[in-house]
Amino acid sequence: MSSLCFDSAPVPVRDDVAAALPNVWARIGEPGTWLTAAQRTAIAAEARNVAGCALCEQRKAAVSPYAVSGEHDHLGALPDVWVDIIHRVISDPGRLSERWFREVTSSGISPREYVELIGVVVSVVGVDTFCRGIGQDAPAIPQAQDGAPSPETPEQLNIELAWVPTLDPDHDGPLQREFYPGSAAHIRRALTLVPATARSFWEMANTLYLRGDQMRDFGTEFRAISHAQIEMIAGRVSALNQCLY
Amino acid sequence: MLLRASGEHSGDDYDLSALLGQAGDESGIPNAGVLLEFAEAAVGANPARLDAARAAVIEAMGGEALADAAGVAALFNAIDRVADSTGIPLEADKAEMTEAMRAQLGIDDFGAVSEPAEA
Repeated sequence: MSSLCFDSAPVPVRDDVAAALPNVWARIGEPGTWLTAAQRTAIAAEARNVAGCALCEQRKAAVSPYAVSGEHDHLGALPDVWVDIIHRVISDPGRLSERWFREVTSSGISPREYVELIGVVVSVVGVDTFCRGIGQDAPAIPQAQDGAPSPETPEQLNIELAWVPTLDPDHDGPLQREFYPGSAAHIRRALTLVPATARSFWEMANTLYLRGDQMRDFGTEFRAISHAQIEMIAGRVSALNQCLY
Repeated sequence: MLLRASGEHSGDDYDLSALLGQAGDESGIPNAGVLLEFAEAAVGANPARLDAARAAVIEAMGGEALADAAGVAALFNAIDRVADSTGIPLEADKAEMTEAMRAQLGIDDFGAVSEPAEA
């Protein structure tokens, strides 16, 4: 059972959101593809811990975040490289660089562990921002369950598109049909090195935002706010996050 | 890009500078002012500002609209980090279609000075 529930939410929450987000949240406490449940819950806790990190504040204010060295204010449960990834992704995502990515993935975390870590971090960001937005307390981080990770690596990977390998859309397979129905937009490829991570992320995305087929159906309004209002909010948040994509 | 497309579909000429906080209700989008304030507050760090923004959305548009607005803000707060942390590039066709818009809004300057300084 998930520690996240919208039965007593301050405002009405759509049924699909009320069903999806608790599932996404509960998975943080389950063994992942490459990470143990203990690692996943520690990542979630560290993601919440970033606010108030003095080093992150200094880097955010600096012309270059890579010119400021120091130690993060962290919880002590994860390797330093993992902590740095979490803190940079939370506090200053718009200034991450490929050079930094290559450095961290050659010094204590593999690309597939990195993708799964990113999946946990953005799940926390999504759930916490939503709860904060509607005026509901953020849920407790799940208890870590016993069990081993279930490794899975897609057979057909493309290493040219992004910093991380992604599921190659130029093959016809079950994973391609699942993740690229109608379109292999780059954002849909981003987390596919770890299919379970991508799957959980899109479960959250499809309910909080719109499904792919709904996005361009401008003749139908699927939410209590219009397409234009949705895209305005989306664009404003992305501008605040300095996200070029 | 989808905001512009939405406007083209409906025949509305939205002021896209709303995305940079430079236009509110004058953007042409209904309730733009309260929604933009809510979006900024939802991803910010000021609880009092968020409380006020939430109340304003509920008063103007209702609770279901608030939940949907929170959903969009939440998802883009997350998906921006997916894009930035995995290094996915903008698709070539999207880059071409949005060249003028990006130049107008200064979007290409996002993420400037991101490479580590040389030792």
